[in-house]
Amino acid sequence: MRRTLLILLSLFFSIAVFPADFVNRFIEKYGESERPLDNVNIGKTMLERMADNTSDEELKNAFKELNSIRVVSSSDTEDSRYYFEKAHELVKDMFTEYEEVVSVNESMSKLSVFMKKESNEKQDLILITLDNGGKFSLITVSGKIDFNSISKLSGSLKNEAGITGSGI
Amino acid sequence: MNSEYIHTLLNKYWRCETSPREEQELRDFFSGTEVPGELVRYVPLFAYLNEERSITPGSDFDDRLKTAIKKSEQEQQYITIRIFAPALRIAASLLLVLGLGISVYFISKQYNKPYFAETYHDPNAAIKDATYALIKVSNALQSSEEASMQTIQLIDELEIDWSSLDSLSSTLPEVPGKGADAEEMALDKDSNDTGEEIKEAFRQEEGDL
Repeated sequence: MRRTLLILLSLFFSIAVFPADFVNRFIEKYGESERPLDNVNIGKTMLERMADNTSDEELKNAFKELNSIRVVSSSDTEDSRYYFEKAHELVKDMFTEYEEVVSVNESMSKLSVFMKKESNEKQDLILITLDNGGKFSLITVSGKIDFNSISKLSGSLKNEAGITGSGI
Repeated sequence: MNSEYIHTLLNKYWRCETSPREEQELRDFFSGTEVPGELVRYVPLFAYLNEERSITPGSDFDDRLKTAIKKSEQEQQYITIRIFAPALRIAASLLLVLGLGISVYFISKQYNKPYFAETYHDPNAAIKDATYALIKVSNALQSSEEASMQTIQLIDELEIDWSSLDSLSSTLPEVPGKGADAEEMALDKDSNDTGEEIKEAFRQEEGDL
């Protein structure tokens, strides 16, 4: 009886503690209905299916190793600035285990990349950008991240995927 | 009574070998007046024993007995409650399971919010957004690479005479109170940190990233 109770309680607490994901926290803490956000979640299963579907070897390898890709964006300039600042606040307040690896602060665009490396197989990356058009994007990538292959993703891929800059 | 017989009885009494009748004889003897001088010291002991034996139930004995019986009955009632304990246990377990169920329901309800759910069911539709995300990350990494390269280029354009800077380290005065540490922090004259090495380190760092 006691053992059953312990199992039930541990199951409950593991479920309750689970939503420590950056995107979830960000949307729950700062998301406002007056400042709409677009959100895309791609999980492990979908990434595997995508890897099977694509013919590009670079993408195939990148997708296979990842656990999730999550994107949050805003197209309104004013909201974007607000969310950009809040995302940085959240990293500093609640995700201190992440290390800032890239920070570019130019007049037209700003971006920060934060990383948490648990092991070679499990890394978490947070990218916070404010691009030329004043659009905010928050991208989290989790899994085995091969920076070499990602940084070499060729421009032709953009054409293949039909990305013209706005994407989402 | 024969003094020798009393001594024999007493010896038996100390060895706890006397019968009830012999003990009664001893008590009778010591309650009498013909106790020899050498045995007088035992009189209080047997007087005490006589007193104890003469105690009879008090007037409240019946009441106390009834109270004791009632108490015993109450204990039996407690046993009756304990018979229902399994039912209480089941009720407590059901309550716990119900509480957990409600909690899990609310948590799962929270998980059903759109920002928890998988956005696409079709991989071909998802690939555009996934590629967009990776390209963004790629661009971010490339832009940091470019920024570093620009810094190196700027340093190159400054045409700094690194060898003269290195030579400065030998002429730097020792900072009072800081000693060798300060000098080490300023410039390590033993190392060959030329401008080229700094640039190489920059490049290597970029390569690692």
